[in-house]
Amino acid sequence: MSETRLSSSETHGVSGKKRYAMVIDLRRCIGCDACMVACKAEFDVPVGVFRTWVPYRVVGTYPNVRKQFMPRLCNHCEDPPCVRACPVGATYVVEDGGFVLQRYERCIGCKACMASCPYNARFMLPKSRSYTDITSVVDKCTFCHHRVTQGLTPACVQTCIGRARIFGDLNDPTSEVSHLVSTLPTQVLRPEQGTKPHVYYIGLDRHNSEFGRAVYDLPEVLEQDRKAFNKNHQG
Amino acid sequence: MGDYNIFHHMPWSSAYSIYFFTIGISAALFFMSALSWYRAEFRALRASAFYLSFVLLAVSGLLLIGDLSKPARFLNTMNPAYLSFSSPLAWGALNLVAFGAVSVAYFFMMRKENEAMSRKLAVLGSLLALGLPIYTGFDLTVHQGRPVWNTPLMPILFVALSLVSGAAVASFLAGKQEKLLVMLRQIMLWSGAAVAAMLISLLGTTAYGGTGEELTFMFMTSGTLGMIFIGIGILLGTAAPILLLLAPFGRQQGGVMLAALLLLVGGMALRYSILVGGQIVQTYF
Repeated sequence: MSETRLSSSETHGVSGKKRYAMVIDLRRCIGCDACMVACKAEFDVPVGVFRTWVPYRVVGTYPNVRKQFMPRLCNHCEDPPCVRACPVGATYVVEDGGFVLQRYERCIGCKACMASCPYNARFMLPKSRSYTDITSVVDKCTFCHHRVTQGLTPACVQTCIGRARIFGDLNDPTSEVSHLVSTLPTQVLRPEQGTKPHVYYIGLDRHNSEFGRAVYDLPEVLEQDRKAFNKNHQG
Repeated sequence: MGDYNIFHHMPWSSAYSIYFFTIGISAALFFMSALSWYRAEFRALRASAFYLSFVLLAVSGLLLIGDLSKPARFLNTMNPAYLSFSSPLAWGALNLVAFGAVSVAYFFMMRKENEAMSRKLAVLGSLLALGLPIYTGFDLTVHQGRPVWNTPLMPILFVALSLVSGAAVASFLAGKQEKLLVMLRQIMLWSGAAVAAMLISLLGTTAYGGTGEELTFMFMTSGTLGMIFIGIGILLGTAAPILLLLAPFGRQQGGVMLAALLLLVGGMALRYSILVGGQIVQTYF
């Protein structure tokens, strides 16, 4: 069934326009966190905040249990709520490629984009940093725009030891991501939000990716961790 | 989401709920002052309500700017080259500035006793004042992923809350003006009842929503937030004052002022719990 509403930044099937996407094959992810480290190194991402992160859940029944990893990052949505929410145009979509990027010099720090993102992909940079004066503004994953425009893959893709992350142009029918999305069952996170994410998952069980009742009755140790985190990351 | 997850903060802190509270009162007090040009009962509020409205507007502006991580860049919201009208915050910034400008003009016309201009500015200012709770409601409504916030009720709820809180503050300014107290009691009663009706609707749709909504309902009706939302916001701050205003004691000055106090406490608790409640579950995703 064809879509009845196109966002102004829609690039799906538009000839001559690239539509970069990432496919994350959860069957291949071993939870080594190398992607997180590569991203931290690439962008000097401060302690306590992440452009990409790898949560896990233990699934199964003993003795048949395993950790189900689910790498996360900005979904570079086709119809991004963060762009709509920003009052000063500090966040925008790059028409050719579909990157959702941030203009640091415009950001006023109202956090409306953070409130609107269904994926928690945005975070506030701290007030002081060692190697850059980009501080106290909202930041996020850029799909490594600076690398991709030079023909390189994003740092997390480059470093992934299991080739769990695959990156490419969905509008190119010969690309690996096109092949994977068209031949294998894939899922996106929170499709009901209508954001049309550009991050696709292979092997995602939505029972594990969605809110579970467990968040209402969290283990005491997780709450202690959270309190300690909040105490150490004020403002 | 996971057994191991990184932690996420609530983007909008409780300072926003104080802003919602003060700007709502400011808007309603301007409306009361404007009403004085058309209804004799409100004459006693003309100057006092306006002055307090203006002070609260200034406080609200400072709260809003102070909460930005780049406070000096608040001017970006006035820059035509930057403004993005898809965001309710952009409309809100313009509304705030226009309301401030009209308030200043209203002050001078009131001082000059220029009734014709004052009346016109009173109407214009009231329309802009109405825009303030509406835009704050839209600030929350537009976030489609947020339980509680993402409902068409929110702008109307904020208008009703603004009227309740504004009338409550005005009742302290009214002194022993009997006719004025009768009017303020009526406003508190009807807008309080509207708030109560909307809260029942809000609770119902939240409880029967998807998983995120259901979890939000559980968080908002139990524990500390449950005490603030149900205990202080709904029972002590909405139901109790409505019952009090309906009782014989609620027709006396002391009763109206006691109800006003409870409504103010309840109005703050409701704004806080709605703001925080819509963000809790998302921090676990």
